[in-house]
Amino acid sequence: MRLTDIARMCIDNLRRRKGRTILTVLGVFIGCTSIVVMVSIGIGMNEQQNQMLSQMGDLSIIEISQGYGEGTGTPSDAKLDDAAVETFRSIEGVQAVMPKVSLSLDYPVRMLAGVNDRYTCDWAEIVGLDTDAMEAMGYEIMDGTMPKQEGEVLAGQYLAYDFMDSLMPEGRNYVDRWAGYDEQGNEIDPQDPFFDMMKTPITLEFDMGDALTEKKYRKELKVTGVTKEDDGKGWETAEGLMMDIDAMKKLMADVREAGGMPAAGSAAGNQISYSTILVKAADISQVSEIEGSIKGMGYNTYSMESMRQSMEENARQVQLMLGGIGAISLFVAAIGITNTMIMSISERTREIGIMKALGCYVRDIRALFLMEAGTIGLLGGVIGCMVSLILSVMINLFSMGAIGEGMEGGITWDVICSALLGGEDVTRISVIPPGLMLFAIGFSVLVGLISGYYPANKAVKIPALEAIKHE
Amino acid sequence: MEKGSRRDRPVIEVRRLRKEYIMGQERVVALKDISLSIMRGEICCIFGTSGSGKSTLLNQLAGLEKPTRGQVLIGGVPVSRLSENSLAAFRQKHVGFVFQSYNLLPELTAVENVAMPLMFRGVPKTARELEAKKMLCRVGLGSRMNHYPGQMSGGQQQRAGIARAFITRPDIVFADEPTGNLDSRTTKEVMEMIQRFARTFHQTIVLVSHDPEMTEYADRIVTLMDGEIIRDVKTGGETEK
Repeated sequence: MRLTDIARMCIDNLRRRKGRTILTVLGVFIGCTSIVVMVSIGIGMNEQQNQMLSQMGDLSIIEISQGYGEGTGTPSDAKLDDAAVETFRSIEGVQAVMPKVSLSLDYPVRMLAGVNDRYTCDWAEIVGLDTDAMEAMGYEIMDGTMPKQEGEVLAGQYLAYDFMDSLMPEGRNYVDRWAGYDEQGNEIDPQDPFFDMMKTPITLEFDMGDALTEKKYRKELKVTGVTKEDDGKGWETAEGLMMDIDAMKKLMADVREAGGMPAAGSAAGNQISYSTILVKAADISQVSEIEGSIKGMGYNTYSMESMRQSMEENARQVQLMLGGIGAISLFVAAIGITNTMIMSISERTREIGIMKALGCYVRDIRALFLMEAGTIGLLGGVIGCMVSLILSVMINLFSMGAIGEGMEGGITWDVICSALLGGEDVTRISVIPPGLMLFAIGFSVLVGLISGYYPANKAVKIPALEAIKHE
Repeated sequence: MEKGSRRDRPVIEVRRLRKEYIMGQERVVALKDISLSIMRGEICCIFGTSGSGKSTLLNQLAGLEKPTRGQVLIGGVPVSRLSENSLAAFRQKHVGFVFQSYNLLPELTAVENVAMPLMFRGVPKTARELEAKKMLCRVGLGSRMNHYPGQMSGGQQQRAGIARAFITRPDIVFADEPTGNLDSRTTKEVMEMIQRFARTFHQTIVLVSHDPEMTEYADRIVTLMDGEIIRDVKTGGETEK
């Protein structure tokens, strides 16, 4: 028999017993929908976790700090120097490396600004980093440009709020960055700080004198840009000053010359020991491998990877569990298919006998019944996927607040799209990747074929003699 | 099977065929070592009362059942030893069936029913339905092509059944009480039709019946009783066994 003829007979047979076919398809569709929706909730959970983690810090960045010998507590031989930077850069999968050093002295460094040093801040966080790698690392410049020469710096977003107006009385000498909340509970935009960092030079004052002698070193800096606050990158992006490594080296040399720092070791000249080195992996999947190899060199590392992995593992278990619940209903549906097919075959015993007597091949009979069962699976799978998509969008719309109480903004096409496809700041409870749908449809067809296998073999065993039996 | 072989060559050869059924504790012998040869182009009527074993014999001849012992050769091929698959191929090529209860599929139209054996052979839809229409015209159902079996009378259904049996131009057509459900006028119509087809295409017909009227249309009458051939008569020259 031709495949088209088998297909035609298959469809005719299913149509002939419409009610029964619809009920059986209904079973498969419910099973398929429950699997897809359940798994989509598991995947959504994973997505939410990743979103949460990436708010805590960039998932692909590994922070490397000085390692310590096991148990001894003494620093290991692995130094965070330029050689280490080069080594990390050569590791496969590393997209960018950024050395970072923060200035730490045992006396305070003040920041001064304005006419006659009117605005003061008693504590300065000064960080030297590789400005070329900032973009790759994900630092965001809100305003202005990168520093290009010595004496130019980037300032953290809220640095200006740290300054005190020395001419104002106590209580009114600060601009509060946390202006509080209005009656509706929305955050109030804070007032502007006393001065515009981009227009006012900031002077660093190194107060290296002691009780007896007064000894100060001053350095004027020009702010060329402002970085957006990013907790994952470090505190300096909010309230610090950032300059290029070379500028930092120059500044340290100057301070040393002024007597504000102990003389460095012999070859110190340009050698510098970084406080941390950040390594960014090209892809999130390479993080654990890169982290492992750096750890192997004797460094101390930190990344979101271990947390991400354990959370992912957790999410996978939940996915399996939810999928398992869905699978039960598909299993029930599979029994339904088998039952329907067996019933259909016992009704069609004579028909099968006639077909055999007229010379129909056994393989064609088997193919016919398998195709009928598979078609039931296919229909159930396709309908199930469509219904799952609708359900998933509805769940997401509900969680986004577009449906139900409040009806914030109502349902627009854009909202539906973001519920379906997700986006930067969309939290989806249910996520259906195309692969899941393909899998679900394929799986439903497979369930149909497996359920049809036993009935098809039963049909094949019906003897041609049935045709000749008298009723 | 060779085409156009001489008339005196047997197309069906039955050698010491025995069929036993187990019924409860008892063993029932339905056919007692029967031997029989049927010639090409012969219209052979297997005649007997119910329980004589005539239906069992037909089942053996058509390969619908396996014998307990003995052999059935059709064109030299031992049908009782064929696998299910080769049996299907064999039926497609050489055998046609006419049933007592017509056995048309109720969901298919007359054309589709008649075209069915060609469909099993893999003939495309348009080609096989064209052939089926020709056959239906031959049996006088030209105006009923798209009717369903439920919309046709018994005689019309049986004529469609005959069209289906002959559409593949089989060497042998087995007819199991083909007129058992028909009145005497239709019986005549149907039997003359079978006879005409058989003569035109030089086909062998094996007819099973308990109706003495049938013997009019046969060249040879084999009478069975209790699983044994008691008479084998050729119309024209009778040979008593």
